[in-house]
Amino acid sequence: MQLLGAGIAKPVRTSGGYQPGRGTAFARAIWRHRWLYMLMAPTLLYFLIFRYGPLWNAQIAFKDFRPLLGVLGSPWTGLQNFEAFINSFYFDQLMGNTIFFSATKLLLGIPLAVVLALALHETWFARYRTVVQTMAYLPHFLSWVVMYGVMLTILSPNNGLINQVIESLGGDPIPFMRSPDWFRQVVVVSDLWKETGWSTILYLAALLAISPHLYEAATVDGASHLQRIWHISLPGIIPVVVLVTLLRLGHILEAGFNQIFVLYSVPVYSVGDILDTWVYRQGVLQFQFSLATAVGLFKGAVGLILIVVANRVSKRITELPLF
Amino acid sequence: MKTMQDTDPTLRRRMRRAWIVGLVVTAILAQVVAACGGAATEPPVAPPAAESEVPGEEPTAEPTVPPEPVDIELWAQATVTEAGAPPDDWIAYDIIRERLNINLTYVILPTGGDGEAVLNASAAANELPDLLQMVSAANDPRSTLYRLVQLGLLAPVDDLMPLMPERVATHYNDPLLLSLVTFDGHQYGFPEPPPLPRREGLVIRSDWLESLGLEPPTTLEELLEVAVAFTEQDPDGNGLDDTYGIGGFIVGQGLGNRFDFILGGFGVPGVWNFTDPANFGLNVRDPRYPEAVAFFNRVVEAGVVDPDWPTLTRDDFRARWKQGLFGIMWEDFAALSNQSNYTPFDENFPDGAWIPLPAPTGPEGEAYYGVYTGRGQIFAVSQRAADDGKGEAIARLLEWMAEPEGYYLLGFGEEGVNFVLDEEGNVSIEGIDPALAWNSAERQPYTQMRNQLIFYNTPAEINARYPTYQTSNGRTMEPMMFLEFFQNQPWVDGRGIQVILPPANAADFDRFYNEGLMQFALGQVEINEETWAEFLAGLDTLGAVEYEASALQALQEAGLVP
Amino acid sequence: MQQVRTRDAITYQILVAIFLLFVLLAIVVPLWRVVVTAFTPLEIYTRQGAPLFLSPTRWTAAAFQQLLGHPLFPRAMLNSMIITLSGTALSLILTIPLAYGLSSHTLPGRRVIMLLILFTFLFNPGLIPVYLLVVKMGLTNSFLAIILPPAVGVTNTLVMMRFFEGLPDELKEAARMDGANELQVLWHVVLPLSKPIMLTIGLFYSVYFWNEFFTPILYLTDRDLMPLPVLLRNILISASFNEYVEYDAFSTSALESLKSAAVLLTMLPMMLVYPWIQRYFTKGTLLGAVKE
Repeated sequence: MQLLGAGIAKPVRTSGGYQPGRGTAFARAIWRHRWLYMLMAPTLLYFLIFRYGPLWNAQIAFKDFRPLLGVLGSPWTGLQNFEAFINSFYFDQLMGNTIFFSATKLLLGIPLAVVLALALHETWFARYRTVVQTMAYLPHFLSWVVMYGVMLTILSPNNGLINQVIESLGGDPIPFMRSPDWFRQVVVVSDLWKETGWSTILYLAALLAISPHLYEAATVDGASHLQRIWHISLPGIIPVVVLVTLLRLGHILEAGFNQIFVLYSVPVYSVGDILDTWVYRQGVLQFQFSLATAVGLFKGAVGLILIVVANRVSKRITELPLF
Repeated sequence: MKTMQDTDPTLRRRMRRAWIVGLVVTAILAQVVAACGGAATEPPVAPPAAESEVPGEEPTAEPTVPPEPVDIELWAQATVTEAGAPPDDWIAYDIIRERLNINLTYVILPTGGDGEAVLNASAAANELPDLLQMVSAANDPRSTLYRLVQLGLLAPVDDLMPLMPERVATHYNDPLLLSLVTFDGHQYGFPEPPPLPRREGLVIRSDWLESLGLEPPTTLEELLEVAVAFTEQDPDGNGLDDTYGIGGFIVGQGLGNRFDFILGGFGVPGVWNFTDPANFGLNVRDPRYPEAVAFFNRVVEAGVVDPDWPTLTRDDFRARWKQGLFGIMWEDFAALSNQSNYTPFDENFPDGAWIPLPAPTGPEGEAYYGVYTGRGQIFAVSQRAADDGKGEAIARLLEWMAEPEGYYLLGFGEEGVNFVLDEEGNVSIEGIDPALAWNSAERQPYTQMRNQLIFYNTPAEINARYPTYQTSNGRTMEPMMFLEFFQNQPWVDGRGIQVILPPANAADFDRFYNEGLMQFALGQVEINEETWAEFLAGLDTLGAVEYEASALQALQEAGLVP
Repeated sequence: MQQVRTRDAITYQILVAIFLLFVLLAIVVPLWRVVVTAFTPLEIYTRQGAPLFLSPTRWTAAAFQQLLGHPLFPRAMLNSMIITLSGTALSLILTIPLAYGLSSHTLPGRRVIMLLILFTFLFNPGLIPVYLLVVKMGLTNSFLAIILPPAVGVTNTLVMMRFFEGLPDELKEAARMDGANELQVLWHVVLPLSKPIMLTIGLFYSVYFWNEFFTPILYLTDRDLMPLPVLLRNILISASFNEYVEYDAFSTSALESLKSAAVLLTMLPMMLVYPWIQRYFTKGTLLGAVKE
């Protein structure tokens, strides 16, 4: 293990000790690690049953599923379900909106959460930190149904807080929630507001795992605050940040159904309609069992491509690949 | 403060071990408790009928009662969602077991998309219950029924109808509704009577009219003028610029049911042209439609509509009219004038009053209030239940619900405890403890089936549900007055819409339709010949012509169109 | 940490404090609306909606009373606690060994296992396939249907794995030299050093189970098993559907007040639990463990 000088070990890539053609060496390696295998066994069993089991059932995405015939008995239709929604009228727009929301929330959300975690970590006033941190993560618990009401009081063109300010400055009220020009900003900002505090929990935990000795040594060496952050804090949490980023890229087509569903309305379909809201309108209402499953697999395929590419990039830049 | 960091590591380790062991033990115990709890709350299996306490001299309608009680599981939506299901010691469960030899399990389905997801999932797993409601988030239960029938998951019920004479006479007496649930010559569902027909309408603040010296409008242009006056001339006299002329929200297709009266003034209310069967098709093809939308756009541009109308929910809308935000609106008669709904408004504005408005006429003198679709709930029997031979028991249950004993018990409660009957047979709560009255908060869990399976719009029901009362300043408020007024307005009979099945690309078609109209209405796209033609062409790309053709065919097959 | 009180340090601290103040205000202002709405009396709400500030004399806890006094509330609360506790415990028990195993880079087949797990992360087939499985296993109407399928979160596992990777090898090697097997290394060496991440992941799982309402709706038909979020959700979405009901459910509180109160009630346990957990999140938990 190499130490990065931050009390954090950088894992060295090994191939796991497998040498093709040397059967007994391999068997010995397995025996040496038998405890680990035993520890992991129950969890791997869980994955087999509750993750690969449903994937077996997911073959209905390639079939015309009839409940009376069951998963195996239903007839195959190949890629028909996929074609149905890829060739659908709004597909390009849905993909565009979905990726826009997902990418923007990612690009803005993670840095913001990291900066907040750093600020919380740096402050001397422990009580202040507790208060701010507790307040910051509370919005995570507000359901979007309630958030909608709050946002209406803030953004409504009819006496909403912001529009009151605008009007007092002599402007015209802006219908934020129903204007295609503003809806995207509304969605992204409200999501940042709601989730940033919660995301910092993880990064703060990472920061706290860094040994204070390193900071002391740096201070003795005359490092400024920013230098300490750059050389100690950031490298300390980079592994987690990279991991979270890669995983979120894998779910790039999850743009936040619960939020969009509550906030969107017909006037902003063009910028607000995402894959999941479309599937909801189409699939739920029509007993199209296979459609949602097909879309789920499609999302996975796109996410897979992205995560493979990102992993390669990550390997090159940060030497912290996921696999 | 001494923290965990300061204590001896061994002690820490032991404490953590204790914690984890404790958690695991709790988890295991919890499962056991939950399993026992779950088991214990099932209705106790009744002893065989030979040992039951059913008195021998009671006149029974069924000469042969099978020895074992039949388990029937019923899925239905609740009348009052937040009140929850009735408790397990509900007297109705006992009576149903003793009288009908049925163990009833009553499961309440969530409303809206959640309920549909549950139904969807159960159908996929072929785990539908015995008797179930066709839940539909889009308020199209017949579509749900049709799909489930196609999947072979529902059983025909022709044989069960003769077993329930009382219920058929009171609930299933509309040939049109029966034809809707008949496929390939077999009846597959029980079409419950729809709620009171044509119960929504246009209302206006009469006190605002008075304070501005205006007459109630009769045409669309007059309505616009009055709306402008309401917005700009401070009709509530409080010196604040805080009122709008019109309020509403979007529900349904296009510009929604709530603004259909505007389209009606141009002769084109609703999605489909039911006014001129010879030229059946989408209303948007009618040249009057773009004129109507242009008028709507004028109304919006005039700034007289509560600007949140495209995004508002029903709750927000209702909160706003009670806060006196606007003066003209489309509302359900009960939501407007029923005592519990009207009281908050009354307390805010004791001198405020709403009067109904007739259908405003358009430039050509046409007027339609809206389209009456007559959708009611539909219940069905699963094929599995039929295969298990439970059909006859289900019929028994449904029949009992239509007989006086079941009707009153499930609709109101116990006579003398939760309600009383007066000489005319009307239900009232005279002399009843308010906490036990059938319409009190505490009693709601016990009558959750009333809107789904019990009520069928008898005069007694209506009098019970919509009684006359006094407002805070002594005026008499009669909800029935609004209802009668609304029902006498010119409505389009659009019940044929129930036979029209959504197209395969419904989501795309609906979105294009709704989004296009909304953009015209809001002025995001200027409405002129070109843009309208583009809109229609776009609909055609999405299969509008085929959609119209299949709709016409469905109507012809149902005999609703010559 | 030594707090060197130079002028630079103080300026820096003030800047940081101001930034945090902005964050605090940005968070608090909308949250304040929710709190105010929850305590607004019905008369005031029907007149003008929720006011900016509540006068100290004119507020009411009626919304909370109505929710807490709901006959189904105690049972729902109990169900939620059972689900959350047992779900979190099970999830941690399954997650920790896997994360620990994967953190060992010499494990044969590590890469394969990692890929297999990532595959399930990417490809989520959705509702129907899982439902079919759960029904076939006969788990409907039991809490197991709620806590088993989502038991192990891939993100949580990998984050935990990263933390384990970051622990110095010397400690584990020392324990192994002393003859400890992997289970003992995990239990006696690794876990005590991993408090922050254990608590964090445990918190994540708890919050998931505490707020989960859809799977209970789907799998639990017995009303005695209904957890709190389902009860609250019924209240949150109900009035939109009480179209034809002659009874107004919210005669003592405005609907918005009830919604806000319901959400605050959901928040309350977290507000109590997190500061308690935070005591363990002190700086430098590796202090004294690694000889330098």
